[in-house]
Amino acid sequence: MTRMRHLICMAMAAAGLMLSASVSLAQQPDEGDQPGLIADDTYQLDPEWQKQMVYYRTTEPPGTIIISTAERHLYLVQPGGRALRYGIGVGRDGFQWQGLLNITRKAEWPDWVPPPEMIQRQPYLPRFMAGGPGNPLGARAMYLGTTVYRIHGTNRPDTIGTKVSSGCFRLVNSDVMDLYDRVPVGTKVVVRQKPEL
Amino acid sequence: MKRTFRGGLLIGLAVAVAVAAVAVTYEIYDTRTLKRTVRRGEVLCGVNKGLPGFSIPDDKGNWTGFDVDFCRAVAAAIFDDPAKAKFIPLDANERFKELQNRKVDILSRNSTWSLSRETDYDLYFPAVAYYDGQGFMLPRARNIDSALDLNGSKVCVQDGTTTILNLADYFRANNMKYEEKKFSRLDDVVKAYEAGQCDTLTADVSQLYALRLNFAKPGDHTILPDVISKEPLAPVVRERDDDWMLIVKWTLYAMINAEELGVTSKNIDAALKSKKPDVMRLVGTEGNYGEELGLTRDWAARIIRHVGNYGEVYDRNIGAESPLKIPRGLNQLWNAGGIQYAPPIR
Repeated sequence: MTRMRHLICMAMAAAGLMLSASVSLAQQPDEGDQPGLIADDTYQLDPEWQKQMVYYRTTEPPGTIIISTAERHLYLVQPGGRALRYGIGVGRDGFQWQGLLNITRKAEWPDWVPPPEMIQRQPYLPRFMAGGPGNPLGARAMYLGTTVYRIHGTNRPDTIGTKVSSGCFRLVNSDVMDLYDRVPVGTKVVVRQKPEL
Repeated sequence: MKRTFRGGLLIGLAVAVAVAAVAVTYEIYDTRTLKRTVRRGEVLCGVNKGLPGFSIPDDKGNWTGFDVDFCRAVAAAIFDDPAKAKFIPLDANERFKELQNRKVDILSRNSTWSLSRETDYDLYFPAVAYYDGQGFMLPRARNIDSALDLNGSKVCVQDGTTTILNLADYFRANNMKYEEKKFSRLDDVVKAYEAGQCDTLTADVSQLYALRLNFAKPGDHTILPDVISKEPLAPVVRERDDDWMLIVKWTLYAMINAEELGVTSKNIDAALKSKKPDVMRLVGTEGNYGEELGLTRDWAARIIRHVGNYGEVYDRNIGAESPLKIPRGLNQLWNAGGIQYAPPIR
């Protein structure tokens, strides 16, 4: 069954890639999304992007998620002036945002339905992709408010630490699974961007 | 008549003594560093002879590092040219004397700010450039992420330093036991740790990251976020030359404020067109803050253009883009998890 599912994913991805080839001249290619690619679990993150406990002074209570888009770090606030820091991939320039939201839903191996605005920009993307290792949303997804934005896994660990997404925050699958188990629905998520001139 | 004469003599004597005292003070306390620096055409910077990430020369004598860049920032503020900084390597034990003897204009040499250093040598530490402090390194496989989980550890430490005292204080204060493995040479401390003779190694955090670079597998070792002592590293200037001290202090604060406001060496031209009051005051399109310092209106813009903001200098030399990769930690901005905080320019 799972195998069947993978085959379907691969077929959809292949179609997607073929389409992308034909429209790539007119369309800004999205380096960050590669539907169908199976995540390389042996990929070693640079120490900067590896999960680690760091000093972090904040007035936000433990359990809050603070995302620094400029740093490409996600902090899960811990007691005692510290935080668990994860490396993330963030939105491309022009696709970054800031604000306060809550986690409204959590899903394991989520299906991917690229939102209409994304399809408009990248028509070669599949309209639907079932959850699985080749899915760009990766192993887990945490939905932010009623927005189209999510904290999710990835099948492209090499994009951690870069600005590639359409506004979502991606972690490697092992990290997103770790984070998923630590944060309940309702968790406060503060997204910070670098200041504007 | 006689009396008046005597009185006049006394007054005359008092005036003479006062004049002499002022003259002596003037001799002892140098108040013309900026003038001399401008006449000379370069800033003389006392630096460490070789400390990776902070100040180190290559084979061609090109200096790089966090402390080096700070001195270049001062040169950029004065001359609009970061190359107008000359680096003079100084030993730890001669550094303060050499600054007093006017061999250098600034010490930018990983020096810890303390009360006795300001009073004993008549020096002044204008502002903290880098918050260092003692920490712990241990094998990642031990899966410990707090220093409070180190009870019963064997600790490798260098003898004859304040490190060993801080270690004792920390474990005592937390009712934890430990076994000291002390060595007089740092090399031996590292060897013992690598050979597995101790569970953890303690030293200043910046030093731990430098030591870790030399391990066969740096990724197998982790450095805890806990900092158990205060080692605020700061530039140093001579006391009582307030004009110069203010330039050094506000050079650092301009770099920190620039990071907070999002002004970088890459977007400085856009920043010069900004209509945001904070940004305008920083880059000099509003107010005459630079002139008040004895510099030009665009003093901070010069620093940012040629050297960068605090975060850029940090990342390039000791942070994410450097081999050391020291997390920002305490040195992150006050509104982003750390304690680096600059008073506003206004």
